[in-house]
Amino acid sequence: MSPWRKGEYVVAALFLAPGLIWFWTFALYPLLYAFWMSLHEWRIRGTSEFIGLANYARVFQDPVNLIALRNTVVYALISIPGQMILGLAIALLLAKATRGKVVLRLIYYLPVICSWVVVSLIFMFLFNSEGLINRFFGESLGWVDPNTAWLNDAATALPVIALLGIWKGVGWVMIIYLAALQGVPKELTEAARIDGASGFQVARFVTIPLLAPATLFILVLLTIGAFQSFIQFYIMTGGGPFHSTEVFLSYMYNQAFNFLDFGYASAIAWVLAGLILLISVIQFRFIRQTYSY
Amino acid sequence: MPKPFHMTLLTVAMLAASVGMAQTITFWHTYSTGSGEEQTMLEEVIPRFEAENPGITVEATAFPYQEFRQKLLTAFAGGVVPDLVRMDIIWVPEFADMGALEQLDEYDGFAQLQSSVFPGILATNFWDGHYYGLPLDTNTQVFLYNSDAIDEPPATFDEFVTFVQEASDPTEEVFGYSLPGPYAWYFLPWIWSNGGAVTDPDITVASGYLNSPATVEAVEMLVGLYDEGFLAPTIAGSGLGSWEGLGSGQYVATQDGPWAYPSITSQYPDMNFAHAPFPAGDGGSISVVGGEDIVMFSDSDDKEAAWKFTQFLLSPWAQMTMAPTGQIPVIKEALQDPYIQEHPFYGIYLEQLQTAKPRTPHPEWPRIEGIIQTAFQRVVAGDASAQEAFDRAAAEVDALLK
Repeated sequence: MSPWRKGEYVVAALFLAPGLIWFWTFALYPLLYAFWMSLHEWRIRGTSEFIGLANYARVFQDPVNLIALRNTVVYALISIPGQMILGLAIALLLAKATRGKVVLRLIYYLPVICSWVVVSLIFMFLFNSEGLINRFFGESLGWVDPNTAWLNDAATALPVIALLGIWKGVGWVMIIYLAALQGVPKELTEAARIDGASGFQVARFVTIPLLAPATLFILVLLTIGAFQSFIQFYIMTGGGPFHSTEVFLSYMYNQAFNFLDFGYASAIAWVLAGLILLISVIQFRFIRQTYSY
Repeated sequence: MPKPFHMTLLTVAMLAASVGMAQTITFWHTYSTGSGEEQTMLEEVIPRFEAENPGITVEATAFPYQEFRQKLLTAFAGGVVPDLVRMDIIWVPEFADMGALEQLDEYDGFAQLQSSVFPGILATNFWDGHYYGLPLDTNTQVFLYNSDAIDEPPATFDEFVTFVQEASDPTEEVFGYSLPGPYAWYFLPWIWSNGGAVTDPDITVASGYLNSPATVEAVEMLVGLYDEGFLAPTIAGSGLGSWEGLGSGQYVATQDGPWAYPSITSQYPDMNFAHAPFPAGDGGSISVVGGEDIVMFSDSDDKEAAWKFTQFLLSPWAQMTMAPTGQIPVIKEALQDPYIQEHPFYGIYLEQLQTAKPRTPHPEWPRIEGIIQTAFQRVVAGDASAQEAFDRAAAEVDALLK
């Protein structure tokens, strides 16, 4: 006989039901429905024509998707290391700080809880050609051309958006590392100290290697986040000028809601999901091998 | 039969009758809530219609323009639509093509309304052999300038180039002209005035039109002036907005629709600015038609009442009541109205409207617009020559028109 009696199954089912129903209705069902849509020339009313994998063929032929991939990778390569290095540095410093810990933590964490819409608008004002950045670094210091239209030039728009990504994400990285630092055994750092290691050496050879699981967790989530970034791109540049800051979701959004091409947009979403899954699997494999202790 | 039952029957019958009589039509629009548009509609136009048509109630709801198209699409997809909508003229073919709109040309009195309105804007309601709406208000863009800085506005493209070069002072960041943004709505008048086009007249092909020498030359003129520092960075979507730039004296001239006047004068009451027709190129002085059409959704369950309200909105009284709020009337009769004749600048808008052209009336317009704006932005950014960018755009639009 099973260790559980019948009544316990019922109770368990009752506890699970709300979560499961929520998941089926708002995650699984839309996911599968989007796949169904991606196989059609979708019309918002009336009969949609079944076209098989034609939308997927389009995803791989459309040059804009390649631009979106390139932009996403550039965005990830700037914003992820930026967030991780700064976040780790702040966490290490804050862990040692004796005074003002709470206030500093709050200050670094503030951008994380701010709405993307709000921070995007702030950055737009800062980086407008009439904005504060040009006034200060251009007119006062003379470091940049005071008429630089940051967000209207392909070469500067993407780094500016990545900068916003770093600023907004650092606090989150810091919090995760702060939590992970609680798990680093004091005996190990003290032993290293006694052996004559400097503060930097302790961090480099003891603390940071022990933070590897947290690092992996942060890396995977930040990568997923970078591939799913949307609001900052949509608000600050709308993917323009001429697709130079287009990312998958801004392109998908335009296809779906401006051009009503829901079938094609769903196909983009599914390809993106596959891509994220692939990258996450690779990251887990690769980092598990490198940092096993 | 016992009495109470009779009473019940009677009550039910009366209820049914009153329900049948009280008709409510829902009317969605984007009349601005800040200016007098919505107020005049709610406090003057609708009450008078309801008084003249007892039993019909009009429930009007305002939406911000930016959200409106999506709101309508969602409503249509969900099957819960309003009866009447005042929508941007450029959306009508798209919604008609989806089967969302009621075909109006067989309704009683349509022919009469059809002959009473300006044909240019009426044409924006025509799709696939039928009319799916009627014009409600119209507008276009004209040349706006700081009349303290200019004596005589430029009348031709040559005069425009000379004027922009002379009026600009790049060292002081004064720009002779501001194209308000890198959008089709703003640069199409320059292409058309130079004799260029987006497609052939039958909207079957873009190659040979969107990349014609006349189109390319117009784009090169604007971008050339911008590269030399004579045009404001608004052409690239940056810098001070065109109204702020004009008001603060940083821009000497710009272009916009009739809504610019009340906004600029309220923000910069000391500024003197004036209206003029667009400078004329080889194609004439040609601006772009804007405005709104009134359409009935085919899902409406009160078509008769909705049609009555549509006819009322096109009556001379309703059209002239809305005119002072900036809604330029669409009925030919309005041209003789003293209010229009004495208005400080409607005359110039109406004159410009005689030759103004609509943006390509095609269900794929949102995509076409995206393609030509991308082409324009690439030229502004120096990413491609005007010829390269518009050759590529023409090929892409060709594919959509097939």
